[in-house]
Formats: sequence, structure tokens, C-alpha cells
Amino acid sequence: MTSLRPILASAWMGIQHDIAWTTPALSVALRVVAPFASAMTVSIIYWFGTTNSSSVAFNPERLAYILIGSTLYAHIASYAWVPTVAIAEGKNLSVFPHIYLTSRSTAFYVAGRVLSSFVISTITSVAALILAYLALGSFLGTQIPATVTLLSAAMVAAALVANIPGALGLGFLLGAYSLYASKFEWSLPGYVAGLLMVFSGALFPTSILPWPISVVAQYLPFTQFIAAAREALLPGSSGDYVTSMGLCLLGGVAILVVSLLVYFASERKARKDGVIDRRLA
Amino acid sequence: MASKGTVSVEVSGLRREFKGKGSPVVALDGVSLKVGQGEIFGVLGPNGAGKTTMIRILSTLLLPTGGWAKVMGFDVEHEPEKVRRVINMASGAEKAGYDFISAKRNLWFFSQLYGIPSEIAEKRIMELSEMLGLTKYLDRKFYALSTGYRQRATIARAFVNEPKVVFLDEPTIGLDVMTARSIREFLQEQARQSGRTIILASHNMAEVEAICDRVAIIDKGKIIAAGTPDDLKRSLGAPALVMEVSPPQSGFEMLSTVAGVKGFTSSTEEERGLSTVQIVVETDAAARAAEDAVKKQGLKVVASWRKQATLEEVFVALVGRGFKEREEQDVV
Amino acid sequence: MSFSPWVRTMKARALVRLWSIFGEPLWIVVSMGFPVLSSLALSLLYYSIGATSYVGFAVLGGVMVSFWGNVLWSMASQFYWDKQEGLFEIYLTSPAPISAILIGMSVGGIIGTVPSALIVTGIGWVLFHPAVNAAWGGVILTFGLTLASLYAMGMTLSSLYLAYGREAESLNEVLQEPVSMLSGLYFPSIGSRSPFPLAIQAAASLIPLTIGMDALRKTLFYGNDIGQVWPDLAILAVMAVVLLFLSTYTLKYLENVGRRDGTIAVRIR
Repeated sequence: MTSLRPILASAWMGIQHDIAWTTPALSVALRVVAPFASAMTVSIIYWFGTTNSSSVAFNPERLAYILIGSTLYAHIASYAWVPTVAIAEGKNLSVFPHIYLTSRSTAFYVAGRVLSSFVISTITSVAALILAYLALGSFLGTQIPATVTLLSAAMVAAALVANIPGALGLGFLLGAYSLYASKFEWSLPGYVAGLLMVFSGALFPTSILPWPISVVAQYLPFTQFIAAAREALLPGSSGDYVTSMGLCLLGGVAILVVSLLVYFASERKARKDGVIDRRLA
Repeated sequence: MASKGTVSVEVSGLRREFKGKGSPVVALDGVSLKVGQGEIFGVLGPNGAGKTTMIRILSTLLLPTGGWAKVMGFDVEHEPEKVRRVINMASGAEKAGYDFISAKRNLWFFSQLYGIPSEIAEKRIMELSEMLGLTKYLDRKFYALSTGYRQRATIARAFVNEPKVVFLDEPTIGLDVMTARSIREFLQEQARQSGRTIILASHNMAEVEAICDRVAIIDKGKIIAAGTPDDLKRSLGAPALVMEVSPPQSGFEMLSTVAGVKGFTSSTEEERGLSTVQIVVETDAAARAAEDAVKKQGLKVVASWRKQATLEEVFVALVGRGFKEREEQDVV
Repeated sequence: MSFSPWVRTMKARALVRLWSIFGEPLWIVVSMGFPVLSSLALSLLYYSIGATSYVGFAVLGGVMVSFWGNVLWSMASQFYWDKQEGLFEIYLTSPAPISAILIGMSVGGIIGTVPSALIVTGIGWVLFHPAVNAAWGGVILTFGLTLASLYAMGMTLSSLYLAYGREAESLNEVLQEPVSMLSGLYFPSIGSRSPFPLAIQAAASLIPLTIGMDALRKTLFYGNDIGQVWPDLAILAVMAVVLLFLSTYTLKYLENVGRRDGTIAVRIR
């Protein structure tokens, strides 16, 4: 319980921070807008490319593939970058050094913030996915295939949870940089989102990337997470859900372990070099 | 409240209300004053007294809800563009500069907002930097400057357009003694030799006492006292009573009930096992009554003596009574 | 009437922006991340579905997303950040015209974003060799007018952000993706090939970027010259002028409201 308390308190603080700028309902509703628009953009790109090109036919299943991938990579990006924000903002508000001085490592604070963001992001991503599904069906006049049952929902939920270690690990790696950085850490979220777009199989199979990048991308936990969600939701999906989940969890835990080691090392070095309480430019 | 010579700042019946949750909040309640050219005019008051509100009105950031104010003869409400050409302002609580460019380039940039040709601006920047000890740091990026040098750069910015009137809000807050002293000397030089009027809002009594020609004490939006620092100190009449009391006490509430006691402050020295309480009294009889009241609580008065009032004691005497009344009002 | 103070202020504000960007070379790396990667990802998407003739749309979209991002994060919310740092008060208490400061920010922003845009173009060209059929005169004029109207929109947004305070940060996140979608950065959002119903197309057309993107695609990929896209150019020119006046008027109005209500120098925490 003594370890859980700072995590839970940080999670509570994170939720306050993320939605307190306006009424909670409006805040959550507005947070649906960005992933909805992003999913719509890439789905429409697919539709436009296939309906205006003679070399390839429009396939609703491929549309569903892209829709799911685009929503989920945005979901990962939105909460994986929270450590960057938590540390950078904390430094600027002089809050972070005080967190560091408590008996717990700042890793608990960072983990709590990531978890709170995971909760909000899950709600908004699921809402965005549903809205985009309905909007696309309406605009494009097409039936988008999807298996929506209690079982498939539970499988997706399990995949979301299985991805937490990997996303947490990514967050700690970014946090390790933020601990030490004094400027430009704000640019990291853009890079994270962009890299996930390209390498997580969100929009296209990783096989189209050149070898050996395609191999590395294929076995990233984020790629396996998106694959597992597709296997749960898409009828006739060719992959194996259990294998995807296993690889997601294994890869995620591996990244988390490595990232925690990096984070703690960064914390020690930051203390040694006196930058824990350095305000940012 | 009058001043000698040309009047730089003139305020008459200045009033400012803000919308509150219930009734409007009166931040300024009929303030009138005149400040002469080349004067350093201090404005003292507790938090929320109206100092910053007055400065914001005079610097054209805020409109008054009643009364009027003029800076160098220009009305702040109806002629703000003319006022802005002759003023500048700086606050101690801000860093007010662009992080990724050097201090010199920041100063140059702000000079351009006043239409100063670059060659003239460069010359002024170098002169100001010499006076403020900033020259060695001019080429450093703003974010890389320490607090003290950033504040020096902020002060330099406030004078780069050779303003007739400068508004300074806590310019030396959080600075080390040497830096604060440098800035104060600079301000005195600007007022004496260049004839600039400086309006200085501050909590730092020693600073206000040291450099201000005249001081106004504001509380609850009204000027409750004004004059030279010496005049204000003499206005208390009897000098202050200082007592060293044992054992140390966290509060001296018994003094609030003693007639003739205008206000008091206390501090504790655990190592010496004493509290020191400074009491502002109206008469010698009040001083004796205050000493008796302390003794009646079973405390030992180790030593007591009379001393000339400081500006802090004037402030406490005038505002300390207000705090007590304010607390009673809040309870009701 | 002397233009010298106006020009001096405009030049100074533009230079501050450029010194900030080019004085820290890492800034270019920082700012190009999302545009490069998103352009790469969407180009690969077009490529992976066999629609290689449209890869150029994704590259062009990546170029314009650099400018759109600059408008949103460095123009629209700039006064909000200036207010936080106490710089906005300095602007208001100086005789400098606010329009000059806004235009200076825009000029500096446009020039400062060019490296990022060139990198996106270069990477897209090297990797995908997008097919181009350009009427270059039309491309240049369209590009110029698109930027002018886009940054004029940024100036207008900057005054609105001033009114919104702390919510400004969150507004950026809300606006960025929907505007990217509606304005058709990567696909035509208006016209016969748009997936959107007419009502949405009409609303999207109010965004300068929508008209600009459509005209840019016509001139860059379909060889339409000025004579063929002049209606789009006329709309962009009118938008630029209207938004410029609107921004100055809105800021002046907000300044007066701020002076009346006492909200100008309030730090939002």
C-alpha cells in the first residue's frame, strides 16, 4: 500500500491536470476530437486513394484495418508522452524537485501520471473509434466490417492493458531525457506520434518497410498490440490473438525493464549534475 | 499631497472597482497625489492594498472607474498612446524576455518598440549595461542568465527608451544584497542626473526608506499617510518601545487590548531563549502599560528600551491596526 | 504619417523570431519531426495501397503541416505565452502598433518554417519521386497567398487565445487535427472528389488552408495556371485582408475590454 499510495495520488493529480481546464465533460468530449479527426484523415486517404486510382480496389476490410490502427497508435502516443509533460511542467512550476525530495523515486509519480492518462485516453480513443466508424459509414456510404461482441470488447480491453508496460516503458525513456533536458523536450511527443505512425503497423503492414527495419517494427510491442486489437475486431483476420498478446506483453515488459534502468540512471546523473531543479527554457 | 517643481504624475480621486462574487471589490478608493519630476516616489502597502492597481492605471493597462490620472500632462484614460511614449515599467516578479536570444538582442528589440534607431539603441544599451554591471553578460542567451542578471536586464529594458516616468513593481525582490544595492544606486542616479520620475511599489521598507524622496502608504485602496520618510517617522510621535521577553512567546495578543498601543511586531530567538517585541506607542504611559501587560502574563521583561521609529513601525502602526479590524470584520 | 516606427517594430519582431530559431539549430530538428514523419507515414500509406500517383499529395500536406503547426503553436498562442511571461504588458505599454508586432511574428514564422518545409520536400522527393505537373507561376502565387491568409488567420486566433487564457493550450490540441482533416491537407476535402457532404465542404471552405490546398494541388499536380485558379486566388487574397483587419480590430477591442475589466496583466496559472 505504501508504494501504491504515491502512484494513486499522482494518477488523481494527473486526471485533475488533464481535465480541470474546463468542465470534465467538455474536457473529455474535446479530447475525442483530435483522435477522431486523425482517424478520419487516414481512413479518407485510403478511400480517396483507392476510389481515384485504377490500380487498386476499395476494400472495406482494409479501411477497418486502417481505422483501428490509426485510433490505437494515437492512443499510445497520447499517454506515452505524459512523463515528458509531467517532468517538464513540474520543473517549470518548481513542483518536480519537491516530488524528487519525497521518500519515493519520481518514477512513482511518473507512473501515476501515465496511468491517469491511460484511463482518459482509453475512454476518448474508444469514443473516437466509434464516432469515426459511424461517420465514415455515413460519408462513404459503405458498411465497415467489425466484430462487436462482449468477447471482442473484452479482448480489446485485455490488449489495451497488455500494452501498458510497453507504453510506460516508452514514457520512462522519454522521461529520462526530460529529466536531463533543459529545452525542446516539448518536441518529443510529435516525434513519438510520428514514429508510431510509421513503425507500429498502424496504417500499413510493416512488411512494406525495408529489411531489417520491417523485422524490428513487426516485433515492437506496439505493433503487436494493434495487431491483437485487429484480430479481436476484424472478422476473418489472419493473425493469432494469443501470439500477438504474448509478444506485446513480453516486448512491453522488456522495454519497461530497460527503460526503468535508464530512468534511474538518468535520475542519479541529473542529481550529480545538479539539474533536477533546473528551470527550463 | 503636493510636490515641488514640474508635476510628472497627477492623480485625483482615482477609483477602481472590480466585479466580485457578491458586491464589487473596491481596489482603489479615491486616491489623490502629485509626483514631481525627478522624484523617486515610494508606494507601500500590504498585499491587496491597491499599489499594483494604481500602477496598472498609470501605465495605461487598466482603466479607472472614477477620478482621473495624468502622466506628463497626458490623460491615462483618453490619451494612452501619448502616455506610452513617455513611460516604461518593470516588475521584479517577471523574467520578461525571449529565452533563445541574447540579453543584448532582447534589449535592442524592446528599444525598437519605441522607434529608437538601432545606432542610438546600441549606444544606450551599452551605457545602461555599464551602469548595471551587465556588460559581460550581454551576449548570453536570456535563459542562461542568473536571476540577478536577468533582473538587471529587465531594469535596463525599463530605461532603454529614456522614459520620463518609470513604474517599478518590486524591482529587487529575490535578489542578493549586492545586486539590489546596484539597482538602487542606478535608480538614484537616473532620478538625480537624468530627472526621471520613478514610482516604486515595494514591500522592502529599507529600500523605500533608503532611496525614496517621498512615500505614500496605501491600505484598502486609500492613501492613509504620505510624506518624506522622516516626516512619516516623526508622525508617530513617541518613539517605539522594544522589550526582550523570556520565555519566548509565539504571540503577544495581550498588547492588542492596551490603550495607546498602535501596533507591534515580534520575533523569537530560541538560542537566547528570548522573544523581542517592538511596540509602537502613543505616549510614555502607553509604553508603561504595555510593559505591565506583558509582566501580568507571567513573562519576564529581560530588557527594554526606547528607540526612534522606523518606516516599518510606521507601516505596522498604520496598517497593523487595520489587519486586526479586518480580521474582526471577516469573523462577523 | 511616418511608417518608420511601424516598419522598425515589424522588423524587430521578425528578427527576434528568426534569431530564436536559427540561434538554436536544434530547433529546426525539433520542429521538423512531426511534419517529416507524418508526411512519410501518409506517403507510405498511399504507396502501400497502390495509389502512387497521389503520394505527392502527402508530401505537399507535410510541407503545409509545418506552416499550420507554426501558425497554431507559434502564432496563435504566442500572445498567451507573452502574457504569461509579462511581455504582453510591455507591448501594450509601449507605443508600438500591435499590427506591426503581429506581422513581424508572421514574417519571422514563415521564414523560420522554410527549413522544415524544405526538408519534408527533400525527403519526399528522394524517397518517392512524386509526379509533378506544375505551372510554377501559379504555384508560387498560390503558395504566397495561402501563407498570407493562413498567417492572417493565426493573427486572428492570437487575439481569441488572449481572451481564453489557460484554455489556449488545450484549444491548440483540439484545433490541430480537425483543421488538418477539414482543410484537406492530404486529400481533396472540397469539390467533386471530397467525401464530405456539401454542408461540411462549405464550412471547410471558410478555412484559408482549404482553398489554398485545393489551389496548390491544381497548380502543382494538374498544371493549372493562374488563369484557371484565379477564383481561388481572389478568395485567398480577400481572406488575408479581411483576417488582417479582423485581427487588429479584435486585439484592440480585447485590449479595451482588458483595460476595462482589469484582465490584461493577469497571469493565468
